Amino acid sequence: MSGNVAVRWTRDVGLGARLLFSGGRDGWLRAAMTAVGVGLGVALLLVGAAVPTMLQARSERGDRRVASVGAELAKDKDTLLVGSADSEFRGEPIHGLAVQAEGSRPPLPPGVARLPGPGEMVVSPALARLLASREGELLRPRFDRKIIGTIAPEGLIGPADRAVYLGSDRLSADRGPAGRRIDHFGAGGRHEGLDPVLLLLSIIGIVVLLAPIAVFVAAAVRFGGERRDRRLAALRLAGADSAMIRRIAAGEALVGAGLGIGTGLGVFLLARPLIERITLWDISVFAGDVRPAPALAALIIPAVAAVAVAVSVLALRGVVIEPLGVVRRSEPVRRRIWWRLLLPVAGLALLYPLAGGGVRDWNGGTGQIRVIAGAVLLLLGVTALLPWLIGLVVRGLRGGPVSWQLAVRRLQVDSGTSARAVNGVAVAAAGFIALQMMFAGIAADYTKPTGQDPSRATTYMTFSPGGPGRDVVKARFARTAGVRDVVAYDTVEVSPTGASDQLTSLQFGDCAALRALADVPRCKDGDVFVVRDPRADAGALVPHAGQRFRVHGGTVWTVPAKARSVTSHEDPRGFTAHGLFLTPKAWAGKRPVSAETVVYLKVDGSSGPDVYEHVRNTATSIDPVALVSDLQATDQSRKFANVKRGLLIGTVATLTLIGTSLLVGILEQMRERRRLLAVLAAHGTQRAVLTRSVLWQSLLPVFLGLALAAVAGTAFGGALLAMVGRPFRFDWTAVLGISGIGAAVVLLVTALSLPTLVRLTRPEGIRTE
Amino acid sequence: MSAALLEGSELRKSFGVTPALDGASMDVAAGEVVAVMGPSGSGKSTLLHCLAGIVRPDSGRLTFAGRDLLAMSDRERSALRRTEFGFVFQFGQLVPELTCAENVALPLRLEGVRRKEAERRAAEWLSRVDVADLASKRPGEVSGGQGQRVAVARALVTGPRVVFADEPTGALDSMNGELVMTLFTQAARQTGAAVVLVTHEARVAAYADREVIVRDGRSRDMRAVA
Repeated sequence: MSGNVAVRWTRDVGLGARLLFSGGRDGWLRAAMTAVGVGLGVALLLVGAAVPTMLQARSERGDRRVASVGAELAKDKDTLLVGSADSEFRGEPIHGLAVQAEGSRPPLPPGVARLPGPGEMVVSPALARLLASREGELLRPRFDRKIIGTIAPEGLIGPADRAVYLGSDRLSADRGPAGRRIDHFGAGGRHEGLDPVLLLLSIIGIVVLLAPIAVFVAAAVRFGGERRDRRLAALRLAGADSAMIRRIAAGEALVGAGLGIGTGLGVFLLARPLIERITLWDISVFAGDVRPAPALAALIIPAVAAVAVAVSVLALRGVVIEPLGVVRRSEPVRRRIWWRLLLPVAGLALLYPLAGGGVRDWNGGTGQIRVIAGAVLLLLGVTALLPWLIGLVVRGLRGGPVSWQLAVRRLQVDSGTSARAVNGVAVAAAGFIALQMMFAGIAADYTKPTGQDPSRATTYMTFSPGGPGRDVVKARFARTAGVRDVVAYDTVEVSPTGASDQLTSLQFGDCAALRALADVPRCKDGDVFVVRDPRADAGALVPHAGQRFRVHGGTVWTVPAKARSVTSHEDPRGFTAHGLFLTPKAWAGKRPVSAETVVYLKVDGSSGPDVYEHVRNTATSIDPVALVSDLQATDQSRKFANVKRGLLIGTVATLTLIGTSLLVGILEQMRERRRLLAVLAAHGTQRAVLTRSVLWQSLLPVFLGLALAAVAGTAFGGALLAMVGRPFRFDWTAVLGISGIGAAVVLLVTALSLPTLVRLTRPEGIRTE
Repeated sequence: MSAALLEGSELRKSFGVTPALDGASMDVAAGEVVAVMGPSGSGKSTLLHCLAGIVRPDSGRLTFAGRDLLAMSDRERSALRRTEFGFVFQFGQLVPELTCAENVALPLRLEGVRRKEAERRAAEWLSRVDVADLASKRPGEVSGGQGQRVAVARALVTGPRVVFADEPTGALDSMNGELVMTLFTQAARQTGAAVVLVTHEARVAAYADREVIVRDGRSRDMRAVA
């Protein structure tokens, strides 16, 4: 570039920059709107760029606190007994671990300065707050211990993470989750990544969430665009050539984008600490974990600037000047469809090679880039097609009431402005419809039947050895509010004398408990049963009369001759029992110390939302490491559920931004037309007519945008289903549900804009013009 | 002198601490053309806006055909402006998206006149102001003078009893200005409409039957002087 050219460029771009703020209060307002609009988009893009690091940080934090069990450990001065004390409160999980030091140097969980002893606990700040609050009143009996410390952030997944370490003196090393020996915390192993389908879902999800934000940024740089076009046209009249005008426009757009980027960075930095206060679907994030990936962050800034310049320069196509200096808009441009169709067609073409389940063995990076590019092109196709569709439909509209006529004529003259306002909604709706179709298509793959029967029992519990035994446990639950039925039995593993390598179960309980496990035609207290498992292997141990068993602690017990044989059926968990079942009078001795107590509860959920909390409180009061689980017929993959939950959070953020974008767009359009509105009001035009006109102006493009989104989203969803090898299925619920949400956002925004409309349609407004 | 159709007296209006009208009075008889003259910032536009029920004065009396305008609700004043008044502003203020014919038909349609009938009467008025050939053009496609003639047609199409014109030739060259004023005043006189004409140009004021001078928010009726 020669010196003269550089000087010319600098001068023109500088002039454009100055023009952004020209026009007094209006100019500043316009600049502020652009800065805020672009800034919000940039802030969300930065959050999007931080998602990979956020996920990584959460995963690492979770791994650090895993109580790892490697090789079998012997008791030592640096070993620790641990038992799961996980719980939940009103549907939200509480990560709990009971700990018991075996020597002088036990490993400390991350974020914990000192191990709690019996009767003590260390809690996360979120749990401490909950326990201290009125809401936590119901939880306090479960954790009625002395708090000796707080878990520091390095030991938590997020700021709202509810976690607790409970000191214990009742743990043993051979009880699986309820008792095991460790010598360090931390998983240490390699992560098991997402499977290809979930990875595809995540990638598409991120594209779907970020695409409307990019559209929003493009719309934000056009705030105050009509006035700016007129100003540039006036410069043209004063002698500026078209190249100069483009440079001036570029300068103005660059400064607007720069302000927006600055605002976005500011909003991001200011809002980052506040993110710790937000918990959505029980996910919270530490501010320090929200670090945009440097490469993505570096891409956002030039991309936003480039979009700003491109959009501004392209928008100049519709401005012409006539010799007398009156600025006129050219006739509406006949929009061509061929290049607009190219975008979605190219997108589908990129995705096509992966059809037929191809994504299940896609080749890493190249495949991902292909999917991202395809998805972006498909969604951008919606933004390209929408102005054409609006133009096509409104061109043929005639007649109707005055409000309709005003709206339709406005759309006939300029469908681009309305399309810009609706583009974000349409792109988001298309993406969400596609995602929803894919979710529905693959949900069955990630939702497995558990074999559990919640109609027989809602809750399953086991209590550690050394507890009070089934009778006490049963009595405690019988007194617990909301519990309708309790079945409890004690169980201990036993071996025949002389064959310690063979194991079977010795179960103690009443006839009701036995009936939960086996088909029993007759049963009275004092009976003994040999329970046969129909699913057991041929060589499995089946006790018989006269066989002697050594019970833990040295007692020897002989199977009596009167023992009857029964066949077990599935218990409420879907398992089949085997071994020996003794009714109370059949066992004269003391309850074996190593016996666990198993309890099935039937809880009446209709007796109040907190009934399960009372049940957990009772369980914890009996045994802090009691295993409590609610039975359910199906279980959804945790990773699938996490992806779904993450996308829900993103959807909320995107819809909020879209709503803001629409509101700003509508307000800006009103501001541009305030003189006309005031004049119409001065002429006596009813306010209701003007309100309906604005409403039509919003609703018509929204309706068309959502119709286009339904078509594009269904095609996109079909492509995604083909990629994961699932048959195409039109999802009415997705289309109607998402269109409904989109329409609701628009109606809400229109309602919010009405006070401004009322203000602008006061006839007095004409005086200020 | 005939009885006043529109009469405002002792009108006062301030915007914040700035007084715009300070006891201005003026009346207009049916069919009369009155020019309101004065320098920029003298309050003549505010006087017009008060008389038309667009701006509510802080104090004073204002009647139209014996009805108290200040006692009317916003809705009633809107209805009055729609049915009894017409307006021509400096730049016409036509709706840019509507064709010239649709712009002229707009006040009729707002009053509930059927579209065909409104379009027929609009076409008639476009002919009367010599711009029938512009019926299907949009305001952006016609010249300033042509646009003002369309605005005149729109102001008169409902058969108003008073037309308020605020600097109707302010954006036109002298030749176009004279053409518009001739058509405007002729048409108004033919329909019997009174005209309140705000202008600072003596040659425009010459089309009026009498003049009212506004200075520092106070009015002076030149008829009384004569």
